[in-house]
Amino acid sequence: MKKSKYTRRKFVKLSTTATVGGAAVLSGIGFPAEASVKTQTNNRTLRLGFVGIGGRGTYHLNCALGIEGIEVPAICEIIPKRLQQAKQRIVDAGLPTPRMYGRGVTDFKRLCDSEELDAIICSTSWEWHTPVCLAAMNTDKNCVSEVPIVLTLEEAWQIVETYERTGKWATLGLEGIGELALLNMIQKGMLGDIVHAETGYIHDLRFVKYSPDEEPWRLQHSIDRNGNLYPDHPMKKMLPALDINHGDRIDYLVSMSSFGGLLAEYAGIYYKNPDHRMTRQKFALGNYNASLIRTINGKMITLIHDTSTPHPRENYRIQGTKGIYQGDATSKKIYIEGLSPQEHQWEPADPYLKEYEHPVIKNYNPPPRRGGKIEGHGGGGTQTPMIWHRLVSALRENRLPDWDVYDSVTSSAISPITEASVADRGKPVDFPDFTKGKWKNNPKITLI
Amino acid sequence: MNSRFDRRQFVNLSTGGALSSANSSTEKASNQDKSTGKTLRLGFIGIGGRGSYHLNCALGIEGVEVPAICELKPVRLHQAKRWVEEAGLPTPKMYNRGPKDFLRLCEEEDLDAVICCTPWEYHAQVCIAAMKNNKHAVSEVPICITLEEAWEIVETHEKTARWATIGLEGLGDQTLLNMVRKGLFGKIVHAETGYIHDLRMVKFTPDEEPWRLQHSLDRNGNLYPDHPMSRMLPILDINRGDRFDYIQSMSTSSVMLRNYAALNYGENTLYAKTKYSLGDYNASLVRTVNGKMMTIIHDTSTPHPREDFRLQGTKGIYHSDGRRIYIEGRSPEEHTWEPADKYYKEYEVPRQVVPPRRGGTIEGHGGGGTQTPVTWHRLVTALRENKVTDWDVYDSVTSGAIVPLSCNSVASKSQAVDFPDFTKGKWKTRTPIMPLV
Repeated sequence: MKKSKYTRRKFVKLSTTATVGGAAVLSGIGFPAEASVKTQTNNRTLRLGFVGIGGRGTYHLNCALGIEGIEVPAICEIIPKRLQQAKQRIVDAGLPTPRMYGRGVTDFKRLCDSEELDAIICSTSWEWHTPVCLAAMNTDKNCVSEVPIVLTLEEAWQIVETYERTGKWATLGLEGIGELALLNMIQKGMLGDIVHAETGYIHDLRFVKYSPDEEPWRLQHSIDRNGNLYPDHPMKKMLPALDINHGDRIDYLVSMSSFGGLLAEYAGIYYKNPDHRMTRQKFALGNYNASLIRTINGKMITLIHDTSTPHPRENYRIQGTKGIYQGDATSKKIYIEGLSPQEHQWEPADPYLKEYEHPVIKNYNPPPRRGGKIEGHGGGGTQTPMIWHRLVSALRENRLPDWDVYDSVTSSAISPITEASVADRGKPVDFPDFTKGKWKNNPKITLI
Repeated sequence: MNSRFDRRQFVNLSTGGALSSANSSTEKASNQDKSTGKTLRLGFIGIGGRGSYHLNCALGIEGVEVPAICELKPVRLHQAKRWVEEAGLPTPKMYNRGPKDFLRLCEEEDLDAVICCTPWEYHAQVCIAAMKNNKHAVSEVPICITLEEAWEIVETHEKTARWATIGLEGLGDQTLLNMVRKGLFGKIVHAETGYIHDLRMVKFTPDEEPWRLQHSLDRNGNLYPDHPMSRMLPILDINRGDRFDYIQSMSTSSVMLRNYAALNYGENTLYAKTKYSLGDYNASLVRTVNGKMMTIIHDTSTPHPREDFRLQGTKGIYHSDGRRIYIEGRSPEEHTWEPADKYYKEYEVPRQVVPPRRGGTIEGHGGGGTQTPVTWHRLVTALRENKVTDWDVYDSVTSGAIVPLSCNSVASKSQAVDFPDFTKGKWKTRTPIMPLV
């Protein structure tokens, strides 16, 4: 059965490439033959490969193993203990023993070459995200990457070109798109036309960056790079709210960083040794970074990156021509001209968020998760996260996930562009149009 | 009065020739230390909404005289004259021969200082005319709208030993400044602040500031930085151990003012057909030579509640929205806000005691109270003791210079624009502003 599915897919791909040529593939939805095959098999078994199974990879593997009809035939991880743990989880879930790929950092290539899979879930350290995505697409697999999907503009273009050539996609498909009720309000015009949005990744990661159990490779980025190193979480809210790549696009940005050094200072605390060698380490990353981003249509984003100072988490402020929303973990406020009871006074946003709850959430009635609590970084729940259900549906129905390829690389490309700006005294740096003009006619991101 | 005038003229003439400006100030200070409480002679130039407020404040203070007033509109001029008379003071001399009549006032009158509340474009000219005629000048914000004006104010100050400042602007929350000085937040890393005030109605109301709308037609940048700067300049040690290195600014497109005009005056009015330069939202990033950062916002066109601000240091953070604080190792829950109240109690800088005001409620834009504002009390004290006001000349033009610099950056695709060092190196040795007690 597996064999025949594989053959049929190959055939479909060959035939579309040969007869309708690149254009159909380029459209991103150009797989009518395949799509119609898939709609009949909405609960068909999906074959997922996992590459990188640390904290976050463990979480995703756990999520996947709780969903009916998912198989994990192949896993890849450089740390033997983690590889064995992952294998054990799969066996414990009642699935066949997966093939294990543990021969060094590029063994994911062998996995991609040898395995027949619907998609790869990539949770490696950052620098391998793009190589994994490219290897997957080039061997007839879709790829879902953890953030950031790219570290350089060259990588971003490679992903776009490989997608357009192969018809396989690579995206940040498990990133979600923020508070859906708020997006619903925005898309219904409650705030008018959006003028400006401000948020950021404001998360004190000093401990995480030093902890060998967390992401031991992460500290190096702060030693080498200065800019916004982690734009994707805040962008997931702003990209759909500002219609980036869907009617508007980023024109240029400027970026500025403050003095650095808090990470070196923290080494003394972490190692309980004020003379630890890391206290003398030179870090490129400024303690605080802010970027101003302007769109072609004249909207603005203020995007912040601060992983080194002591603070509670970030807030989100979005200003439109008719009103404004401002929220953080403890308070959500809104002011809508002509609607809010007192002129120029906040009112609680909760009643609005309730009234405008997104249909996707209202209609969400997930099957129960197989197995117990979800483990790994992000875990703790006993319910499959909605983004995992949405990814699985997209794969089964042969659609792109909520983030498409262009949106994914646009979000992550902010990092190298801010680095270029910071390195050049805040010089404005033009943003590439990864969509090559398609942003003009792309419809708004709407979830179904 | 005449003998005082003569002595001052003499001091100025003699120092102008032989001594540096610093020496001349010292000499005058020693002359006047004895005369704390001496009568002050103030001239008022521009007596609209804000000028009325300042005149009312001044008239409530013992020992302040107002011998000269200057205002374009006869109704306002006579109202001001009546206020002065009703306060039991001699009838002031009135200047109203057109928008440049302040020059005649400055040349003819013997005054300690002029208080300038004209439209923005006259502030620098009034300040320069005052200093050149041996008077200090206290200007409403912004003190300058071009860099040339900023430099001319600095040079005239250094030449004449008279000063021109935004001395009535205040210096923000003194208790917060005290927390900064005591190191509660560690070293300051970043401040985010702004002027976020929906002024659409004000800009179109002829009774308010009819000249103000024109600036939104002509200019795109941060048009009003001084109010947020009143907090941030002392906190960031600008011109006092640190200075602004460069600024980059970005604006959104401009739709709100035109839409407001179309809605309220009709699509076919000139208001609605005009092209507005000012972007609805503007943000500037400013970096200091010591690597601190400030994000400063200007938004006077979109519908919103007023601004809040955020101050991040190496040890903790303050957020004015809900007056919240987080101090590492001290706040009870890791990475979680707590109310700032207990810190406000611990670091409290008591409000300065101000002598009771003469007369009733203060009228004009900013009025309503029955107590002399602290800034006015401090200004009068500074003038009597011959000291410069809380905002000195360099601080005042630094704050005002954000306007042309941000406009220049916006016009060149947010390019970094160097910030002039108005202190010419003195920022390295000038000492930080301490909480006012």
